[in-house]
Amino acid sequence: MKSRPSDYNIRMDMRLAAAVAAGKAVTWLSRRLGAGAGSNFPGKVILRLHADAPQAMASRLPGGCVLVSGTNGKTTTSNLLSGMLRAGGRLPVHNRVGANLITGITAALAQASDLRGAPRGDIGLFEVDEATLPAAVERLRPRLVIVTNLFRDQLDRYGELESLARRMDAALAGLNPGADVLLNADDPLVSSLGRDTRATVHYYGIEGARDTEKALRHAADSKHCRECGSPLAFDAHYFAHMGRYSCPGCGRSRPAPEFAASRVELRGTAGSRVTVVTPGWSADLFLGLPGLYNVHNLLAALGGAQLLGLGEEAVRGGVEGYSTAFGRGERIPIDGRTLFLVLSKNPTGFNEVIRTLRGEGEGLVVLAALNDRIADGRDVSWIWDVDFEELAPLPRRLVAAGTRAWDMALRMKYAGLDTSRLEVRGDLREALRAALAAAEEGETVYALTTYTATLELRRLLTRLGAAPGLWEEG
Amino acid sequence: MKLGLPELRICHLYPELMNIYGDRGNVIALVWRCRRRGWEARVTRLSLGEPIDPSRHDLFFIGGGQDREQMMVCEDLAGEKGEALRAAVEDGAALLSICGGYQLLGKRFLTCTGENLPGVSLFDAETVGGDTRFIGNVAVDCRLEGAESTLVGFENHSGRTRLGPGCRPLGRVIRGYGNNGEDGGEGCVYRHAIGTYLHGSLLPKNPRLADWLILRALRRRYQLEALPPLDDALEDAAHRAALDMVLREGKRPRLSPRRRLPSPR
Repeated sequence: MKSRPSDYNIRMDMRLAAAVAAGKAVTWLSRRLGAGAGSNFPGKVILRLHADAPQAMASRLPGGCVLVSGTNGKTTTSNLLSGMLRAGGRLPVHNRVGANLITGITAALAQASDLRGAPRGDIGLFEVDEATLPAAVERLRPRLVIVTNLFRDQLDRYGELESLARRMDAALAGLNPGADVLLNADDPLVSSLGRDTRATVHYYGIEGARDTEKALRHAADSKHCRECGSPLAFDAHYFAHMGRYSCPGCGRSRPAPEFAASRVELRGTAGSRVTVVTPGWSADLFLGLPGLYNVHNLLAALGGAQLLGLGEEAVRGGVEGYSTAFGRGERIPIDGRTLFLVLSKNPTGFNEVIRTLRGEGEGLVVLAALNDRIADGRDVSWIWDVDFEELAPLPRRLVAAGTRAWDMALRMKYAGLDTSRLEVRGDLREALRAALAAAEEGETVYALTTYTATLELRRLLTRLGAAPGLWEEG
Repeated sequence: MKLGLPELRICHLYPELMNIYGDRGNVIALVWRCRRRGWEARVTRLSLGEPIDPSRHDLFFIGGGQDREQMMVCEDLAGEKGEALRAAVEDGAALLSICGGYQLLGKRFLTCTGENLPGVSLFDAETVGGDTRFIGNVAVDCRLEGAESTLVGFENHSGRTRLGPGCRPLGRVIRGYGNNGEDGGEGCVYRHAIGTYLHGSLLPKNPRLADWLILRALRRRYQLEALPPLDDALEDAAHRAALDMVLREGKRPRLSPRRRLPSPR
């Protein structure tokens, strides 16, 4: 028989306590040794000692668990929601550093727990890798699941989008009837999820936005109706395959969002002014994060906060007090220059970052780091789907870096960047040095980096004393 | 034979359906390498329900797609459209097909679930769906006459392809699985048509293969001995870096197929 959260009793506490203690020790040790944020290995150790540790710890959270999944925006959405929860007087347990597999969630729970395995917090808030969602739902029995969007990302790891969507549907079907699901209405694939769930499904979406795209981009992934296969008709494109769509084949159309942005005014890399409308209230908010994709993240967090019983004040407090998630648009002063660090890990993410950079004018210094480690996806073919042609006129110097620096450089050459403006430095430390040297005093260096390159660069900056360590945040 | 500056007319087949692995980089490379030589390159995008006129295109391209999109394209290519594609290749047109596109141009595709999809029969090849995927970096010793070199790329497929006597492999795998993980062959060549499992995109980092296709495509209408050389220093460096990387990774574990593959015919 499967053990349910309530089955955990005093008898099991000793084993849990031992596992938690071991996990804490490993975390402490790996930080002491400078091995990084130490977010997955301690989780592995705990799970080895106690296979049911995550559910045992999570069952002690009085407010239950919230999961945030999807391709892009998981970290920003959960950080925004975490801020709103705190502003509303709750104490979330949160996997902040983007460690979003079961191991990372386990480590986060242990880190926040006392030595008996009781978390010091009242609600769990975890970002979850798309492929890990079924396992996370099974273990944590969440009260709310938020799905941000689904893009092609790491086909070598996740497989194709349709099969990923089917696995997510199966996960949502396992939710308790009292639970809530919050989906992005603007993503035709995401809004088609939750067909078999007994939970209540809610939607968020953008209703009024200027600056919409005239045509679908090369990186648009879900252009066909999931029900009948017909090409979708779009009234408005926001980015990638996000927009207001309907299916001429079977008549399926975008669900009306409960949590909406009725007006969006983008202000370059500074952020956006957004008018939000919810069932209970509406307000004007300033979001200090660039691009329409962050408006989606705001709506996801806001909807989540409302479904968890928070009001306007908590939402406003969370948005205003927001400090940037690691690597998601951080500005870090270094050597009299500013490093603007943006995680760019898949075609849609990159296209949106490029669109934001277009507002910064020409003659920029750009550092583009492409890694092909397992967490980035071993296949780098996707860079040919990014509209780098729009980035090409912008840099006066572009330093290509990472394990696939040469692929990045070649992509920029074929996008039309003159090779005299290109520099290839595989090693990130050398690349950073070259980019800083190319920038004037007071100027900004724009660093666009894939997932592990972001971690590596952030670690490098910590060692150089330019940025606080990951575990010092929050 | 036409006089004047050559113009390459590329037909990009099903660009919105068959482009899941960044294969459009191949078209970017073909266009770029013509324009750098001062020649024009024109891309016509053809999709479902749009007929192919074999005489209006010099080079055809079709990339890889997801299962459902591949089924839609398979249906669309049955009959006249597939015939027109075969006629163009018989007449000397060049063609590059990647992964799913390559599979569709063979004689048939037997899916894991036992479905039998008839192919265009441009290549004497058959594909059988497998229960494990071949995923990873690939290096190939390419034996194509006029483009002898190594090829580097990335494969991600579960189909096992076997060639019949009517076409020959594009090369031998040095690292990776290739057509079926057993006979060491990768891709196939018939006249000026190439099928391969390599993503990457393939052509930017393998410029000699790109030029092989461009030259063959243009020779149908223009008197050309060879292509004027381009400065490929960056391409060659990227090729070497990728080759070094895959050689360092070492040999792949052998995946034994659970069931024997039927040999073609």
